[in-house]
Amino acid sequence: MAATNDRPAWLDAVLKLERAIGSRVESVVTSDEFFDFTAHANRARKRFSETFEGLQEECLHLFNVPAGTDVRRLREQLSRVERELEALTLSLADQAHETGDKPKAKPRPRPRPQTTSADADE
Amino acid sequence: MSPTSRDRQRSRLDREVERTLLRTRNGIRLVAGSSGPRVGASPKDVVWQRGRAELWRYHGGEVRYAQPILIVFSLVSRSYILDLRPGHSTVEFFVGQGFDVFLLDWGVPDERDAENSLETYVDTYLPRAIDAVRRETGCDEITLAGYCLGGTIATLYASGHDDAPLRNLVLLACPIDFGEMGAMVAGLLDGRVEVEDVIDETGMIPAKTVYGGFFMQAPTVEVARHATLLDRLWSDEYVDGWQAMAQWSRDHVPFPGTAARQIIDLFIRQNMLMSGSVRLGGREIRLAEARCDVLNAFAVKDNVVPMSAVEPNSRLVGDPDRRHELRLGGGHVTFSTGRQAFQHTLPTLSDWIAAHSDELETPKEG
Repeated sequence: MAATNDRPAWLDAVLKLERAIGSRVESVVTSDEFFDFTAHANRARKRFSETFEGLQEECLHLFNVPAGTDVRRLREQLSRVERELEALTLSLADQAHETGDKPKAKPRPRPRPQTTSADADE
Repeated sequence: MSPTSRDRQRSRLDREVERTLLRTRNGIRLVAGSSGPRVGASPKDVVWQRGRAELWRYHGGEVRYAQPILIVFSLVSRSYILDLRPGHSTVEFFVGQGFDVFLLDWGVPDERDAENSLETYVDTYLPRAIDAVRRETGCDEITLAGYCLGGTIATLYASGHDDAPLRNLVLLACPIDFGEMGAMVAGLLDGRVEVEDVIDETGMIPAKTVYGGFFMQAPTVEVARHATLLDRLWSDEYVDGWQAMAQWSRDHVPFPGTAARQIIDLFIRQNMLMSGSVRLGGREIRLAEARCDVLNAFAVKDNVVPMSAVEPNSRLVGDPDRRHELRLGGGHVTFSTGRQAFQHTLPTLSDWIAAHSDELETPKEG
């Protein structure tokens, strides 16, 4: 049997049920207890993952194999280099902007090739 | 002559049979994943780029207004919500109304962006993107529109730069009273959840954590959405829209840790924006010093950025004589999707921006 707004009765029932359960779930997940639980769970997960990674690193280093943490450190270093490059690019662009995007200066003439002593004598 | 009861039953039966066949076909397509939505499909060019951020210029329409619109998107989700599907796209709508439309998309930040602070966005990226818009269009002033957290960045830029070349500042569902943000910030507000708990080893808040924050606001709503889909599975139009929205609502991006620390400290815990000024980049930014017309547009049923979190923009941002307010029906995505968006929200916004822009004597190609 169709409900109002051309919505079937089963859908109305599902939507009502969802709201009935949903509102309770929402009040649970916004409660202080839930936030405390989430924070503790996050910290526990981080501690576990650090411990596990440490063990893994030691094992892999025994065989001179890089671990995930080494790769991460490398990526961090690369990120730092990229950030510095980006900052340099920005300041260069700013300088170009401040000088009114003047055309590039003509390339300086290359130094003449060193003359031989015989040429010099001439 | 009205149809007999038997005819009515028969036509209803025919309709149900037809719909069942269509449901089966669309159901198979959905499960097989063979009919992905075409999101972000409006024609555009990248006109400026820095790091992961890109400035897009949309084209295809006749430009009738002198001031281009630059939309600054939020830092937590993907910008294609504003260009969801052909025929259902906010940017396509504004292009069609005669505006030169630009969108500043932050891309997908990664560990290289971990040290991006609010100053990076307010004082580095945004001013340069605005310069790029002016270079591209040759205009003196622009209309700056900020969506959600992008609105906060736009507000800080407009208030913190005396030389901001802005004709209008349009704030779309832009939070200012972070104490009213509800469940999303509740744990952070009272210190039960520390920012370091959610920042990973790359210095970013992972996308799945950002998604979790939104998901936790209404964890069971997915059930209702899927049940509604099942009922409307016969409609290609509905399925397309549903898929596009489902994709967007799960598609979040990592958030830079440094900016997150600032937002949590300055905006959430100290709620500095509500004092009307905030210290950023070594100077005091007073929100009332934005020198342009300011439109605060928000949806009364927004459950992501509640009305109470947005409303104070109307009394804090910009010159009191140049403040405007637009209350709209619908929810957080009323600026981008749904019947309400295209029948009421976007036409109203477009009218306001047009009334606060200069009309070109001779329209030009966009």
